Amino acid sequence: MTPHTPNTGAQTELERAEPAGRVREPGFTFAGLTDRVAQLVLRPQVPLLWLTIFNLAIAACCMFSVAVTVLLDVGVGTMGNNIPVAWALPIANYVWWIEIAVGGSLLSSILRLARQDWRSSLNRISEAVTLAGICCAGLFPILHLGRAWLLYWTLPYPNTMSIEPNFRSPLIWDVFGLFTYATASLLFWYLDMLPDLAAVRDRARSRTAYLVCGVLALGWCGSATQWRVQEKASILLAGLLTPLVFTIHTVVSLDFATALVPGWHSTIFPPYFVDGAILAGLSMVSVLAVLIRRAFALQTIITRRHFDNLGKLMLTTSIILAYVYVMEPFTAWYSADGYDMFTVHYRATGLYAWTYWSFIALGIGVPQLLWWTRNRIRPARLATISVLVIIGMWEERYMLMVTSLSRDFMPSAWAAFVTTAEDHALLYGSVGLFLAVFFLLVRLLPVCSIYSVRESLLLNEAGRRGVA
Amino acid sequence: MKSYGIVAVFDNAEDLIRAVRASYAAGFRRMETYSPYPVPEVDSFLPGWELLSPVAFISGVAGGVLGFGVQYYIAVALYPTNIGGRPLNSWPAFAVIAFEMVVLFALLAVFASALFFEKLPRLYQPLYRTPDSVERLRDRFALCIEATDPLFFSKHPYSFLTSLDPLHVWQVTYD
Repeated sequence: MTPHTPNTGAQTELERAEPAGRVREPGFTFAGLTDRVAQLVLRPQVPLLWLTIFNLAIAACCMFSVAVTVLLDVGVGTMGNNIPVAWALPIANYVWWIEIAVGGSLLSSILRLARQDWRSSLNRISEAVTLAGICCAGLFPILHLGRAWLLYWTLPYPNTMSIEPNFRSPLIWDVFGLFTYATASLLFWYLDMLPDLAAVRDRARSRTAYLVCGVLALGWCGSATQWRVQEKASILLAGLLTPLVFTIHTVVSLDFATALVPGWHSTIFPPYFVDGAILAGLSMVSVLAVLIRRAFALQTIITRRHFDNLGKLMLTTSIILAYVYVMEPFTAWYSADGYDMFTVHYRATGLYAWTYWSFIALGIGVPQLLWWTRNRIRPARLATISVLVIIGMWEERYMLMVTSLSRDFMPSAWAAFVTTAEDHALLYGSVGLFLAVFFLLVRLLPVCSIYSVRESLLLNEAGRRGVA
Repeated sequence: MKSYGIVAVFDNAEDLIRAVRASYAAGFRRMETYSPYPVPEVDSFLPGWELLSPVAFISGVAGGVLGFGVQYYIAVALYPTNIGGRPLNSWPAFAVIAFEMVVLFALLAVFASALFFEKLPRLYQPLYRTPDSVERLRDRFALCIEATDPLFFSKHPYSFLTSLDPLHVWQVTYD
């Protein structure tokens, strides 16, 4: 029975929708939750929505594999890269995917340390976003290399050529950073999932499911020792992943900031990129949370309060981006540096002005709709806003790459950049790869952190009853 | 049949905490609880220790030293490049990868030591030997007084645990 809250007229829309301010819906038992989530993994049927999107994603993956084969066989000339725009879509895609991955990590790690219990429903989804995002992000620096099979030259291994990598280059920092980030995400995700894999194993009816989950769960039995170690390790890993969330995108931003190119050589890049990453990542998590909630009927687990919180975070980060986009022209004007001032002018009015203004509209303008509660808590609206933000963030990355490179110091070196079919195929193909990996992860593995949701439900109940 | 212990199953966490308190008061020390989610109140009554933070710290430091050392050795000794006469030991640049190595080694150490102290992988668990026991233990809170407890053969844990009014009590054996 829901407690009666008197309508004082000053209630927000969220309070009217969720009178008790609870994070989960009533009529909800612990065992029921575990059974529900385990059945989503174990049953052979899949929701139609999941199947549709997964099939489209696989089709895009096929396109991606064709595009990659063409790229590796024919060469980087199939893409639109030229001199001076030597970094174009591949690196824009790389930065965009890393952004998306980092946002997922923020939810898992930083909100874990901040003891924000509401994040427990979205944990698995955001970690799956991270892993899928890293898969896609990691591919692009390899693919744009020209001789992608020589990627291992970036590592300091003893070789007969007597050459070593240049550790002063941010590109090498990227290699180490990405490898560390991938390992961190994978281990954090896997360790956190052991209890849930055990729960699925205990409910498995078929031998295959039992064996697979059993091996993956490593024999987890829920003993007090294991829970104690788990809690400690989880906090430690979240604590290690947190600086990584900030530094990984800082290192990516230093790829640009350490270059002398006008428009790139700015100290605002590290916080600017990290903030953009949080925005893009949370937008992706929002969209996918809406989809997965619909597909797997998780309305009792992912509630409007989650969307409300996600929306608020997105709004905050977009306001910080607005600040950055005010400071950049101001700094350029204040510096009285002709090249910087020209770059700012060119971005707003030149050949690629459409990317600049579409980012302002989609990345900064559209999130301002999130000031209104109904745009945050209605799933369809939040999803639409999030998709527009994600597209806007891609426009921003593209704008950054191409505007600064196509018009740098010497007018004799200026050239325009035009995308080719290969560029488009790689971009949309990578979206397909991301969705395919993500949808596999949420289908084949528990879609929400069962024990974490149960724990936070307990805490919520205890808090409301006034029990310590 | 070698005995592993006596296990009692309860319906909720409060009963489990009460049972653990009572068992501790009765003198049993080698106990273990099994639950679908963490119940931190029982931790003070159970034996066990773990060493995650120091291991992580030492590994992190080792990783940092290794990361910085490799870069220093390569840049100064193995493959020095004269870039405008700048110092070969460009440590501000090396700090980035050194930091990444700190994090990498620390998290590898946390992961490995977490598995070690959780005693995983351990695919044979005496408690979950039979389908019956799996059914009884699923989503329940269990307390197991292990056979290695000094009072196991003198204090009759079976009747003691039965007196605590659990859902099920049975003896767990190794085969």
